[in-house]
Amino acid sequence: MNEFNVLVVDDEDDFREVTTKRLTKRGLKVWDAESGAKALEILQESRIDVVLLDVKMPGMDGIETLRHIRNLKPLVEVVLLTGHASVDSGIEGMKLGAFDYLMKPIELEPLLEKLADAYEKKRLREQKIEMAQMKKHMSMPS
Amino acid sequence: MERMKKYYLAIIRRLLVTFFCLSVVPIFGFAWIMKGTVEETNIIKLEKLASTTVDHNAQLISAFLKEKQELLQLLVSLNEEGAFFDQKQVEKMFLAISGNGDIVDLLVVDADGDQQSYVGPYRTLVTGKNYYDAAWFKETMLSGIHVSHMFSGYRNVPHFVVAVTDPLKGFVLRATINSSIFNSLLHSAQLGPKSDVFIVNRAGEFQTPSLLQRTELNDTENLLLAFDRRNETVITASEVYATRWLINDHWLLILKADIGDSLDFYLQIRNRVILVVAVIIALSLAGATYTSIALARRLEKADKEHAANSLQFAHVEKMATIGRLAAGIAHEINNPLQMITSQAGWIAELLPDEDPAQVKNLDEYRKSVEQIRHHVKRAGTITHRLLGFSRKISTENDRVQINELVEETLSFVQKEAENNNITVVKNYADDLPPTLTDGPQVQQVLLNLLNNALDAVGPRGVVDIRTSLCAGDRLCIEIGDNGPGIRPEDLKRIFDPFFTTKETDKGTGLGLYISYNIVKKLDGTISAENKKGGGALFTVRLPVVTLSRQG
Repeated sequence: MNEFNVLVVDDEDDFREVTTKRLTKRGLKVWDAESGAKALEILQESRIDVVLLDVKMPGMDGIETLRHIRNLKPLVEVVLLTGHASVDSGIEGMKLGAFDYLMKPIELEPLLEKLADAYEKKRLREQKIEMAQMKKHMSMPS
Repeated sequence: MERMKKYYLAIIRRLLVTFFCLSVVPIFGFAWIMKGTVEETNIIKLEKLASTTVDHNAQLISAFLKEKQELLQLLVSLNEEGAFFDQKQVEKMFLAISGNGDIVDLLVVDADGDQQSYVGPYRTLVTGKNYYDAAWFKETMLSGIHVSHMFSGYRNVPHFVVAVTDPLKGFVLRATINSSIFNSLLHSAQLGPKSDVFIVNRAGEFQTPSLLQRTELNDTENLLLAFDRRNETVITASEVYATRWLINDHWLLILKADIGDSLDFYLQIRNRVILVVAVIIALSLAGATYTSIALARRLEKADKEHAANSLQFAHVEKMATIGRLAAGIAHEINNPLQMITSQAGWIAELLPDEDPAQVKNLDEYRKSVEQIRHHVKRAGTITHRLLGFSRKISTENDRVQINELVEETLSFVQKEAENNNITVVKNYADDLPPTLTDGPQVQQVLLNLLNNALDAVGPRGVVDIRTSLCAGDRLCIEIGDNGPGIRPEDLKRIFDPFFTTKETDKGTGLGLYISYNIVKKLDGTISAENKKGGGALFTVRLPVVTLSRQG
């Protein structure tokens, strides 16, 4: 599995901690944030590939944070995590461009798979952009 | 229930009274006034008739009497006094005046009361008689004229006498007049079989016989006689009296007309009015009764539906509240479950790093962690189902795969069925198209039917579920059981609100009613029947709605 950078956003410290530990053990580089605002800060500073975002948080909630992420870093993929099985918020998140949504409680394996899929999607998109840019440069001799 | 019945009966009663007051009373009043008016008109007409008749007859009688008086006076003034004492001359005079037979005899009496001449049938009785003390002689000598009462005398036929004297009071000429001519005259004046016409004198003695053979005057007639010298018309309850005084108030002509006699026409009208009124009253009473009962029935039905709707609304509210509560709890539980599974997973990940020699119970730990993860998964399934249930409150149209819906619904009652050893036979058609419908509502219907079926079969029963495409393009869900079935008389009431065959505290009687309404709202149908082999069979038919059809 490719190594990629993940940002875990959840207001619950224990969850962040154990998730960070486990993902790191699987070879990922993991950042964590306890709020949407903090997450946006980290996104500015670091090169994040995939965000694991809890939908229900105090203050700026997951959906709002997602909206900001789309504006700030359109290429970053977001996987929503929710304790609420309301399909509505899942669908809303997908409409806003989230890669997918997962329901708590979830085991690590399926979570990891989802994150990897998201990263793969991001990687492919970036490749395409690179190719396009290369073509552009080649067709425009300077 | 008893109280409600009384309430509706009271409504019927009140409506009936109102209808009665509004229709029967005015009709009755109108008829009463009509009756009075007709009666009054009739009496007025009768009174007029009596008045003219009595006038006419009084005139005739007066004229007759006057004629006789004048005739005698004419004789007196035409002949010399001596002629009246001469039998021969008197006979001549008699012949001259008795042409029409009214005058029976002619008597001449001198101033001393001695009979002088006589022409008539009773010569022997009269001859030589002295009348000086006779009342009529005295009166004639005093006032010059006398008209007697009627009497039969020794002639034995009704008659009266008219006597006149010459201006010098030298003699009295007296004529006896046959009064039977009055009788026939008055006979013709009779106004009906119970009417009477007669003449009485001031003493109340009949001068002409009563046509009804009466010999006594009644109270009214006595009263009329007491009214001095006045022509009267009196109306009593049953009779009309008209009176005229004759010959200087000597006699009173009384005409009595019976109102009843002349009422034939009025009675006809009255009977017709009574008949019409009776028919109208009967019709309006029947109409009022029918309308009242129908109104009360409708009211009762509306009340029942209203009560059912309120209960249904309350039920939906309750379900929604339960749903929200369940969702809230599930959500709150999911977070700690996530923590448990994450931590257990972390342990599982770290365990392989341990030295098996140092950790005695490594395998136990591993097994325990697996158990933890397994049971978290189990708890997760439950919370997810709870959340799924809460989602069912929304009434949005979902794309529903009927088989999946049935399967999911079955999972709710699986446990109960297992506990009672009930076999659930599934028979799903594979190629059912998905439909856009209110999945949760349909699920509520199915849950209802399934619960009923489980209740009906009891332990070790069989419930079978069949889905199919029927009637061309409808989705059919059949839920059958091998229970006792539905009693034929209950079949048509089974979807009524508050109809239940379960014990009072077990069923509200609303389940099937709510199901019926839900299916109806979704353009589907629901029906109940008994299977040939025994047991009940409920069939829900839903339309297949596709996106394009929905627009």
